[in-house]
Amino acid sequence: MNLVGLCFAAEVTKTVSLTTGKNLAVLRFEGWGISDPLTDFLTEEFRSTIRELEIFQVQDRGITNEINIFYPRKKDYWACWSQECVLDLGRRLNVNYIIAGNIQKKDGDEFLINGRLFSVDMETMLNEFAMNSSGITDSLLLEMKKMAYNVSGLPIPDTLSVGSDTSQVVTTGDLNRKNSWSKLPPIPSKIKALMMSTVLPGSGQLWAQKKYPGYGFMGTEATLATAALVAYIQYKRSWGDFEDNYDAYQDGSDPHDLISLRPRVIQYAEDTRRYNAFMRNIRSVGASIWIVNMVHAYLAAPNDDFFDGEYFFDLEYRPDVNQFQFKFNF
Amino acid sequence: MFKRFIFLFCFWSFSCQEAEYNLDNPFDPANMDLVPPALFFHPPKINTSLGQVVSVELYGLELDSAAAAHLKVKYDWGRLKYEYITPNEFFTGINNPVEIIIQEEGLLDIYIYYLPDMQSSQNEGGTWSLASIYFTAIAIGESDLEYDPVITILRDSNNDPVLINEFGMGKINID
Repeated sequence: MNLVGLCFAAEVTKTVSLTTGKNLAVLRFEGWGISDPLTDFLTEEFRSTIRELEIFQVQDRGITNEINIFYPRKKDYWACWSQECVLDLGRRLNVNYIIAGNIQKKDGDEFLINGRLFSVDMETMLNEFAMNSSGITDSLLLEMKKMAYNVSGLPIPDTLSVGSDTSQVVTTGDLNRKNSWSKLPPIPSKIKALMMSTVLPGSGQLWAQKKYPGYGFMGTEATLATAALVAYIQYKRSWGDFEDNYDAYQDGSDPHDLISLRPRVIQYAEDTRRYNAFMRNIRSVGASIWIVNMVHAYLAAPNDDFFDGEYFFDLEYRPDVNQFQFKFNF
Repeated sequence: MFKRFIFLFCFWSFSCQEAEYNLDNPFDPANMDLVPPALFFHPPKINTSLGQVVSVELYGLELDSAAAAHLKVKYDWGRLKYEYITPNEFFTGINNPVEIIIQEEGLLDIYIYYLPDMQSSQNEGGTWSLASIYFTAIAIGESDLEYDPVITILRDSNNDPVLINEFGMGKINID
């Protein structure tokens, strides 16, 4: 009853994000050839995007920037690009992960954005990112956003360039060439993962970087399909033998032949029934796993920041009652 | 890729046909209500016309191994005229069998012997035709074909009788 009540109270249930509990600090990006306010703005945009993706618990800008008291050369993090320096700052900030990066203006309107993700606990660099941007500030915002997806280990949505944030109008050369009438409405990542897994089990999970479940579903369905295929081949063979023997039995007139055909007809008919039943069972199991795979793909896919609507259903964990709850939204 | 998808879809959605059968062939010994081992006429009923030559097989159902047979067959000699007999598979090994026919009015005494070879002195038994009798229809009417259960006997290579539980009947209808 309590659960039912909670389910129907879905509209008023506060969504609790599934965070990993990993603390991340984003150091102010070093700007080369771009203004300090713009560098601050881009860093903060990058920080907030990672925060919205809910993979890391991103430390607030004010706390992160307190490292200035530890580091005498104000705003000069370029010198703190090495692992030792960044890890030292990470320990001081008491975070698990830390990101350092820089934005360099190259020739003309081209910018190069570099970022490094370090694990403070493991004392190692986990990943390094580099992105090119040709355009003005809005393009840089876009690239920072993409980098946030990369850092979070999530696939970059195809529709990121047509986001709902009007401040992020796409101005890159390629995107400008697209006609506005040819743009399709954005497909939320969850729906996209669902569609992919509907067509090919596990593909949605793989797309959402959930490799093990993805390969698991794909492998399970492939195994079942192989078993069903083998059963189908056996069935076809038995069916062919059944037809041959049954036709010979019906047309035959020699008792010697008929008495030997009779048990064969019965045996092959039994074989076809057995293989058919086996295939039906495999189909049932395969279809069930297929459906589970579709639901899992929907749940495993990341939320899109451009998609501000409600999903049809969602699974959330409520720490106050220590329960997972399944929500419907109508 | 598209073809693979179509194949996958068909593979999952098709419905295999269930095997339905009806084993009601009248020539099937299982449908003759005979308790094996048995002797019967095949076909059990023949329709023919006046002047035609018809053949009927003397058939054994699940017989044990045998080396010789004495088959006494009764028929209506007013409607059927005996022509000749040919031995069939049951007593045919590497060598062809030897047959001796004694014909009386309406009675046929058929002696068939398996000719031993280096491998065996009797056949392997089973469901086989022993011999075919050829008659000419000489008068309109119906003639029964019967084995004489007292005289008819099969023997193995030790001259022991071979069990026969039942004798089937035959009928020739002449129009």
